[in-house]
Amino acid sequence: MLKNVVYTLVIITCLCSQAWSQPQSDLREEENIYEQIYNAPLKLIDGKSTTVLQLAEKKPLILALIFTRCSGICSPYLLQLKENIKSQSADATKPFNVLVLSFDSEDSVADMVNLAKRFELLDDNNWHFAITDSITGLIKSVGFHPVWNDNIKQFDHDALLVGINTQGFIIKKLLGMRGESDVALLIESINNEFIPTYRLPGKSSLFSCFNYDPKTGKNTPGLGLLFIALPALIAMLLLFGIRFVVRSKSS
Amino acid sequence: MENIRLKKITAIWIIAVLLLFVAAITLGIIMRLNQADVMHLNPAKFYEDMTVHGLTMIGIWFVAGMAALNFIMERYVKTSYSANLIALIFTVIGVVMLWISAFVGQFHAGWTFLYPLPLRPLWDSWAIALFLFSIAVLGVGWLIWTISLMAALLRKYSISQVFAWQHLSNKNPEVETPPFVLISMISLIGVLTSLLAAVVLLILLFAEFYTHGSFTNDPLLMKNLTYYFGHTIANEMLYLGLAVIYELFAEISGRPKWKTTWYVTIAWNLTLFFVLGAFLHHMYMDFVQPESLQLIGQFASYLASLPSAAVTVFSIIVAVYRTKIKWSMPNLLFLIGTCGWIIGGVGALIDATISNNFVLHNTLWVPAHFHTYNAMGNVLFSLGFFCWFSTQFSAKEVVDRMRSLKIALLIIGGIGFLAAFYIAGADSIPRRYSNYPSELAAGKSYALLGAVSAMIYLIAIIMFFVNITKRCLKMLFTH
Repeated sequence: MLKNVVYTLVIITCLCSQAWSQPQSDLREEENIYEQIYNAPLKLIDGKSTTVLQLAEKKPLILALIFTRCSGICSPYLLQLKENIKSQSADATKPFNVLVLSFDSEDSVADMVNLAKRFELLDDNNWHFAITDSITGLIKSVGFHPVWNDNIKQFDHDALLVGINTQGFIIKKLLGMRGESDVALLIESINNEFIPTYRLPGKSSLFSCFNYDPKTGKNTPGLGLLFIALPALIAMLLLFGIRFVVRSKSS
Repeated sequence: MENIRLKKITAIWIIAVLLLFVAAITLGIIMRLNQADVMHLNPAKFYEDMTVHGLTMIGIWFVAGMAALNFIMERYVKTSYSANLIALIFTVIGVVMLWISAFVGQFHAGWTFLYPLPLRPLWDSWAIALFLFSIAVLGVGWLIWTISLMAALLRKYSISQVFAWQHLSNKNPEVETPPFVLISMISLIGVLTSLLAAVVLLILLFAEFYTHGSFTNDPLLMKNLTYYFGHTIANEMLYLGLAVIYELFAEISGRPKWKTTWYVTIAWNLTLFFVLGAFLHHMYMDFVQPESLQLIGQFASYLASLPSAAVTVFSIIVAVYRTKIKWSMPNLLFLIGTCGWIIGGVGALIDATISNNFVLHNTLWVPAHFHTYNAMGNVLFSLGFFCWFSTQFSAKEVVDRMRSLKIALLIIGGIGFLAAFYIAGADSIPRRYSNYPSELAAGKSYALLGAVSAMIYLIAIIMFFVNITKRCLKMLFTH
């Protein structure tokens, strides 16, 4: 009997420790949300100087972080952003600007001018290309952590879009290459519209009430529902258990 | 000897509850004055006050109900003094820990501490741990007390007797279940279930906190559990007060004792079942919750409250209509409290109706209804018990010359304070704002009316506090 209990406990402990040692689900999109962005001074390619908050005050801002020497994700990511924004139907009630900001201290205003030209965005009033001398504070405030790789002379970094409202608060973040609908939601969010969202449970989240299947779009009941039923079940068991114990004692 | 010990510990509970009540009302007035722009608190400080105010109020009026229940239950069964004492010690420790986590550690996740807010690094990590442990300490103490009172009842009554099922088929059954026993058991099972929901909730919060995020929780599950605990315990503490009314109202009024009938049995058994599903009405805004559960929330809210309210009101009307009543402070408080409970209950049902909730959900209507059945309902049930308890052991007859003044201040202050919430709610003033922006400037005037009225209510409570505490202290220091 005792052996069985010990074996059961060992198995449960192993399962739990395995489950708990799963890598943390990717919650980075939720980091720094509703915090104010660092107010870095900007040098725009038209020669003007401003700050992130001053720019955001005029219109909600989509911040894209790139560097011009990038041989990886930066170009396809900027290109897709441009296409996604072009495909959005013009809506005067949902204004926004895009700020393309270099996080590489080697980049100059001239490099950013060339980048804007390459993407044919130099004359687009909604797009601003800029550099800053306070990039450390800014990337920290949005939870962006590029790592310099000296072998390939490149930054290892995420493709990150940050949505900032007119008060300078980070409202939404998009990680990775994202489609039109995600960018549309980002634009609505920074214009302070309510967007229903629900975090998809990752591997570290064991007890979801419902398991959502993105392929079928359907929810199936999860283990979490059992937890909601548990208190009532235990209470009923205790009721009968207490009665049994007090009866046994009195007889 | 046993009775003396029970009397003394009940007196300590009463003094502690009233002391904390005065402090918690003061925090509430400070919050309303801040919203009225009369005081200027840092927003974090405002939410610290809100966290402590809400949790302290829920805690003290729950233990007030339990202390009253324990004291009266001794008329029917032998209760455990040790469990009562453990609950008292754990409550004191828990409350001190809670206040330190908020006022020193600046923990301010609100009284509902909805996930993931408590675990956000907005305050010191030790404050999160201390807060969670404070809830755990309170929960353990109350769980022991609840189980011990259930065991006391089940020692004498079988399961079918304790739920009065024999009254359904037989008008004069061999074993009669007094209404007090029936409602006590119904309430204790609800309390037990809500505390078990808190245990599950705390285990999940501790797991995420101590694994530093390698284990994460499902927000929907956590919100369900939070309200399973919070809503249910807030409802059950009202029922604890009602159990006392069923026992004492007729006795104090010089009327025949209320008896359990088939309709009383049905009404309270329905409450037992449906109150456990009523918390689902807190989830209407959670679009991922299936629609079927939202509908269960609405209908469970109706079925949990309407039958028991109807039976209670009917019993009181029968007791007082065209009969000679010996009116005293306790039964006056019971009567006014029942009115407050019904009015607040109607406000709650309006809000628990899905179509209305879309409009009222985040407005001051919500604090309006729960303050009604608490400040003008449950508080008066317990105050009635406190007055009765503190005077019944007095050697000479207690004459309360200030009775009318106290009642008048309580009603004027209470109505003004609640009206400020209701009107603001109907005017779409949002709740949980520390400061109102210019677009919601009307909220400031309502807050000022609320604060001034709450001060009048506080004066009445201080008068009760002084009189009752004086008598309880006398009881503590005499043999």
